[in-house]
Amino acid sequence: MDFSNLGLFKLISRRIDWLNDRQEVLARNIANADTPDYRPQDLRPFAEHMARAGGPTLSVAATHSGHIQPTASRTARPVSTADVNDVYETSPTGNEVVLEQQLIRVSETAMQHQLALSLYRKHVGMIRTALGRGAR
Amino acid sequence: MDLSKSLEISAAAMRAQGTRLRVISENLANADTTGQTPDDLPYRRQVVAFRSIFDRALGAETVEVAGITEDPGQFDRRYEPGHPSADDEGYVLYPNVNTLVEMMDMREAQRSYEANLNAIEVARSMLTRTIELLR
Repeated sequence: MDFSNLGLFKLISRRIDWLNDRQEVLARNIANADTPDYRPQDLRPFAEHMARAGGPTLSVAATHSGHIQPTASRTARPVSTADVNDVYETSPTGNEVVLEQQLIRVSETAMQHQLALSLYRKHVGMIRTALGRGAR
Repeated sequence: MDLSKSLEISAAAMRAQGTRLRVISENLANADTTGQTPDDLPYRRQVVAFRSIFDRALGAETVEVAGITEDPGQFDRRYEPGHPSADDEGYVLYPNVNTLVEMMDMREAQRSYEANLNAIEVARSMLTRTIELLR
């Protein structure tokens, strides 16, 4: 039995992937808080990301029955960033990063990450219970 | 892995802010450095500029110091006839360093540094919590 194909596990691992990517984008914004003309970015919302990932995926042309097809999860990994439009202020150098705003997003990401991990742990515990070893 | 990437990005930014702090302290230290002779020019204020670059080895966009340039602003002229570098009229050129501006710049550098440190802390705790799933 492949656990990664269970609905909730699949969803949580995608959610964690998305949160990791978001953390990277936010770290980039904070790093460039003093770079002239830098515009902050953010990921597209998770729901939108899921809708895309669930859509048609690319496949490799196979001319022989022995050709290996990539697994579905590998083909769909679009990390699409978008410029943030609701900026609070622009500095004289053309920089639009507001540290407070970015830090709020960072802690938001960390909280959601913790939530996803707790859910994962809980789910594993439920499977353990079903196996009769008792949840830890 | 993405989280270690964000650690690297924040570290690069902290390095850049460190350079900025170094330049600020150079400016402050030389705020009164005049020329040795009447023909000498005093110390010129240095300015740091950042730019966003794509780090190929890391596969992510980081930040680096684009260059340290000189501030072309006007020198301060003070009347000090007894000074060794005073000109015929008794005026001495002083560096174009404004201590208040440097202090403000220093605070800004400190604030950015702390923000990056905070981002590192959060990424690190996310990483640790993920690893703790194994336990």
